[in-house]
Amino acid sequence: MKLRLLLLPLIALLSSGAAHARELPKTILPSYEPWDAEVVSTFENLLIQDGGRVKPLYTFARFTLLQFSGKTTASFQTADGVDHKLHYSEWLLNVLFQGKVAKDLPVFVVDDSAAVVQIGVSPKKKRDRYSYNEIVTGRAKLAELSAQYAEKQRQYEQSEKDPQYELDRIEGMILTLGRNISSFEYLIGQFGFARKGDVLVNENILPEELKQLARNLNVVEMLDRMPEMTVEQLVQTIRQQPGASEDERMFSGALRLFFFHANSARGVNLFPPQDKDNEVWLSAGDVLLKGLESKEDRPWATEQLSDLQALVDARNESPEAFSRELASFAEKQHSISDPRGEGVYSDLEVQLYRGKYFSNSLLVFIVAFVVMAFSWLAPGSKVGKILIIAAAVLALVGLALNIYGITLRSIIRQRPPITNLYDTVLFITASAVFLGLFIELFTRIGIGTLVAIVSGVLGMFLSMKYEAKEATDTITQLVAVLDTNFWLATHVTIINIGYAAGLVAAIIGVLYLAIRFILTMFGKEAKDFYRVLTRMSYGVICFCLFFSLVGTVLGGIWANYSWGRFWGWDPKENGALMICLWTLVILHGRMAGWIREIGVHMNAIILAIITTFSWWGVNNLGVGLHSYGFTEGVWGALYSSWAILGIFMLMGVFLWFEERGKKAARKDSQKISKKAVA
Amino acid sequence: MADSTPEQSSPSFGKLLFKFFTSFKLATIVLVLMTIVTLFGTLAQVEDGLHSAKVQYFHSWFIADSMGGLPILLPGGLLLMLILFVNMTLGALIKVKKRWKGAGLLISHFGMLMLLAGGFVTWAFSTDGYMAMYPGMSSNRVESYRNWQLEVMPLTEDGKGEKAWILPSDELQSIKSNESRSYESPELPFTIVVNGFTKNATPIPVSAPIAANAPGKEIDGFKLSPQKPSKEAEQNLPGAYVEFRPEGGGDPVEAILWAGSFRFDPRENPMPFTFEVDGKKYGALLAKKSWTVPFEVQLDEFIFERHPGIATARNYESRVTRFEEGQPEKALEIKMNEPMRYMGYTFFQESFGPSGSQPGDEMFSQFAVANNPADQWPLYALIVTGVGLGVHFTIMLISFTTRSRKKAPAPTS
Amino acid sequence: MKFPRHHFLYFLTPCAFALTGCGDSGPSGSEIVVREIPKAHREFKLVDTSRERFRYQTREQASAQNEAAQLGGGPQLVWDVPEGWEEKPAAMMRDINLGFGPNGEGECYVARLPGAGGGLAANVNRWRGQMGAPALTPEEVDALPKKPLFGQPATFVSVEGNFSPGMGSQETKENYRLLGLILSSDAGAVFVKMTGPRELVDANAEKFDQFTSSIDVSMN
Repeated sequence: MKLRLLLLPLIALLSSGAAHARELPKTILPSYEPWDAEVVSTFENLLIQDGGRVKPLYTFARFTLLQFSGKTTASFQTADGVDHKLHYSEWLLNVLFQGKVAKDLPVFVVDDSAAVVQIGVSPKKKRDRYSYNEIVTGRAKLAELSAQYAEKQRQYEQSEKDPQYELDRIEGMILTLGRNISSFEYLIGQFGFARKGDVLVNENILPEELKQLARNLNVVEMLDRMPEMTVEQLVQTIRQQPGASEDERMFSGALRLFFFHANSARGVNLFPPQDKDNEVWLSAGDVLLKGLESKEDRPWATEQLSDLQALVDARNESPEAFSRELASFAEKQHSISDPRGEGVYSDLEVQLYRGKYFSNSLLVFIVAFVVMAFSWLAPGSKVGKILIIAAAVLALVGLALNIYGITLRSIIRQRPPITNLYDTVLFITASAVFLGLFIELFTRIGIGTLVAIVSGVLGMFLSMKYEAKEATDTITQLVAVLDTNFWLATHVTIINIGYAAGLVAAIIGVLYLAIRFILTMFGKEAKDFYRVLTRMSYGVICFCLFFSLVGTVLGGIWANYSWGRFWGWDPKENGALMICLWTLVILHGRMAGWIREIGVHMNAIILAIITTFSWWGVNNLGVGLHSYGFTEGVWGALYSSWAILGIFMLMGVFLWFEERGKKAARKDSQKISKKAVA
Repeated sequence: MADSTPEQSSPSFGKLLFKFFTSFKLATIVLVLMTIVTLFGTLAQVEDGLHSAKVQYFHSWFIADSMGGLPILLPGGLLLMLILFVNMTLGALIKVKKRWKGAGLLISHFGMLMLLAGGFVTWAFSTDGYMAMYPGMSSNRVESYRNWQLEVMPLTEDGKGEKAWILPSDELQSIKSNESRSYESPELPFTIVVNGFTKNATPIPVSAPIAANAPGKEIDGFKLSPQKPSKEAEQNLPGAYVEFRPEGGGDPVEAILWAGSFRFDPRENPMPFTFEVDGKKYGALLAKKSWTVPFEVQLDEFIFERHPGIATARNYESRVTRFEEGQPEKALEIKMNEPMRYMGYTFFQESFGPSGSQPGDEMFSQFAVANNPADQWPLYALIVTGVGLGVHFTIMLISFTTRSRKKAPAPTS
Repeated sequence: MKFPRHHFLYFLTPCAFALTGCGDSGPSGSEIVVREIPKAHREFKLVDTSRERFRYQTREQASAQNEAAQLGGGPQLVWDVPEGWEEKPAAMMRDINLGFGPNGEGECYVARLPGAGGGLAANVNRWRGQMGAPALTPEEVDALPKKPLFGQPATFVSVEGNFSPGMGSQETKENYRLLGLILSSDAGAVFVKMTGPRELVDANAEKFDQFTSSIDVSMN
């Protein structure tokens, strides 16, 4: 059968996975010694307060590297020709405790080498990853340009998006690179105070004599011996010209170094505060300043810093000593945070990322698709049926993995499944897959499974893309208005099920149009099959209407409770309304006799365009109360997906004309036969 | 195209009209148009701001606009909803054959009618405004978000006033920037002449070079420079040239009044333009349109929490005491998603300020105050519609599955 | 079910009712209405000038702010703003802050510092440095022309070049001109500095003199 021949190359393409060995970026490091697995494991379970919540360093490392590099591993080739692939937590371990190595790891992704040329750094490939040491030659220019572009972007926001302030692509890249480099410097600088002048950040801003001094200065000891002076007085001391005596010069210099270290060590908040009621954790730099500010806090501050000092010293001593010290640091941190009730679910969070449930789910769906595709080689046969069942089971496994991941996320943050845009991707995918399998249960012709698999592949792929693109923690804290588990569990969940149904209807529509188009090309018909698909679609559209309508009105009721108005014609509300309206158009259009089979499917595709618009588009219009989650590049993705859907619409138009033509021909022939009879 | 009813006698005009208004075709067309209007209205919000697009597309009978150079001519949201209402009432409630199978649909259409009716009542009869205060302050005055009125009040020497003569906002805001209108009140010894009202304006000193381009008269070293209206209608600060002509003759007093003199922070007192007529002191002010609720609310405490270490607000809530006729009546809390409902008014924890405040700064609390006779209608409508759709789709699903089962044995080739 | 079909028009009537809603309450109509002012809102702030009423900073406020700003004490200044110039919001370390030019790109400010402020030559050369001009020797500085300020001879500086103000601003403004007066004594130093595109400064050079000669110490 010709159709099978057509399918073969497709299947071959899918099963041949694109696993070429790519050339890794080289570093000047002569060799690389991996960390002890136990050290890595202790390290990634350390807690950090970041983005308003306490989480494992594992999560922090993941999203920091993703932000810098666009992927979650650091791959490179050392000078001895060996390839290395570092896990993100190992990479962060290098940054914090082996800064010299970390500075040579190529992790800063630059999409267009034109950006590095602008800051005077020699370019590599068009899109490539650079190490800190490669970028640092253009550091001053980078700082200057990114400050300028940051200002420009601020004006852009302030001027309600005046295009004259819009950053172009290269400018955007430079701004991002500048931010990443400066975040990296903060990371490197975290334990600088304990490193005795080793691996300083921005050391060129220090005069030579201070660099000398840094090698001998014990900051922790200094804190203990600091005279009774307010911070303002100390700052004054630095501002004044130091006196002539050696002592005065030493003191002034030491003080400057103290502030230098304290300012370099912001942002990595590893220390729960002394006060039980205070929720804000401190970084090493905060602890230094706190110790300086108040005599009462000094013993506590000294203790925290000594622990860090011991850790850094142990690193220079031996791997065993470091492993021991790190374990005791972790133990101490947990002994403080546990009674405070913080980081309770950090183990689960590490499990969530280590388990890779979402990427594994994608993999399973892809395998399911391949199995499904093989079933088309033998349609209707026993083997074909078994393959479909196998694919359905695989889809079920993919769904289970996804749901397990969603459940873990819900437990970690103690919230219903959806609290942000990323969650909606996971949830809508799960709903769509479920819906597909549910349809299969009642129809048993393989289409439901196919819908489930296609939804699974597309949705899980989207979730991974989105995570990499945003590169920030996806378990976020909620703004005050969303702080209601009742409405998150009802309105948000229900409306997203509605979105899922709208998309499933469109997938059925695409399958219908594509299959019918191909069959028509081969001069074949499958009327019963078409009818089943149309009924399926109709059912899903009704399902979509029910959930969209209830979800939308519930949203209005929530708005009425929290903002005092039921309906405000806010873009997100309008998006949901358009979904309801279009399902109603389909249902009433059918009753009016305007929409039949092809019409239902084409309208289902329009429904999907509306759904994606209100799911992704309206968030990016930048107006209204719902406009959270600004994501760059969304419009491009939306337009291309709409263009693809448009192709199927064209097939629909073709089929419609074709059907009309046939009908007309049939009428004519009937007339002719009537005439003949007469 | 299958609705041909074989009626030989030419149908009466009323019948034709009834058929038209009850048809599925009309429903479909209206729904398609509503989708289009919603889409365009949403896109227009990007250009023109939420409020103005809302008025132009959804609270209108007809829409005439242009987008990206293309002219748009569409029926407005109000008209479409009205037609839909009629169509649903006649088609889905009256004309439809009453069968058990259609019970779900009948119920759900009734629910949708309730929703539309609720929307209409809200649109026509509800009010909304806000009340902002620091802890310790109390008030019974609700202010409009974007409507401004002209107030003139006799003042004591130390700046106190008890009564205000008000030129209502719908009149004031209808005055064009090059138009003059005068107003009198029997108790005022002068005529108020408004020589042009500008939606959004800034007074600029004539010493500034840009003042040369500004139209209008110079008064006390200032000119009123018109500004492009902001997309957020709440951000507009209108201005007006005003003249007070004493009745007994004498020199008129001229002034520029500007909304910025009113108040940016609940703690500020408005700064009126002051003048004297017949030895009496008067103040004139562009003030937010305001009305009162029949009780006073005093803010006792404002609790504001942020997520640790970041600026995002985690929770904010207000402890208030309600006063009736000067007597404390009840102490209660107003927080996110937990409004206070009393005497037909609803107080929502809406916002806080001043903007850009840091942890430790004293903050004010802002309540949205709404009065909506149809407040709970959507909830009832939802229950009715939900039940209706639930019943209907259950009936459908049962028939779908039983039909599938029946068909199942027939193999497809 | 029988229904008198032409009666459907009755359904329209309730909808045609009172379509006047505008989402607000309070007084409406086209006549003046009298209302009692709620007790909590009966106080008004009386201000004397339009300047205050429109929230522009008044001179009193500006100089009060200056007093508060670390310098402490010095006598208050009065001055005339030349035509076409405008007052800008007071800034740190500036007693008077003015702007001019079509887009306000020209600026002119007066600053006072206690003590000699680092010496005359150092300050002249600091300004020259900002314009990319070479430093002058102390003798050359002494030989610079003088103009009156507070009735005393102040050193007049005029430099053209590319202006890079430093202080965190990275950009260099090309083809600029700087006019300045420095009055330096042991009691304190007064600086008047005007910068802007060369042609604009050329056009305003006369107003600079007019402005500097109008600056005086307030008598009250």
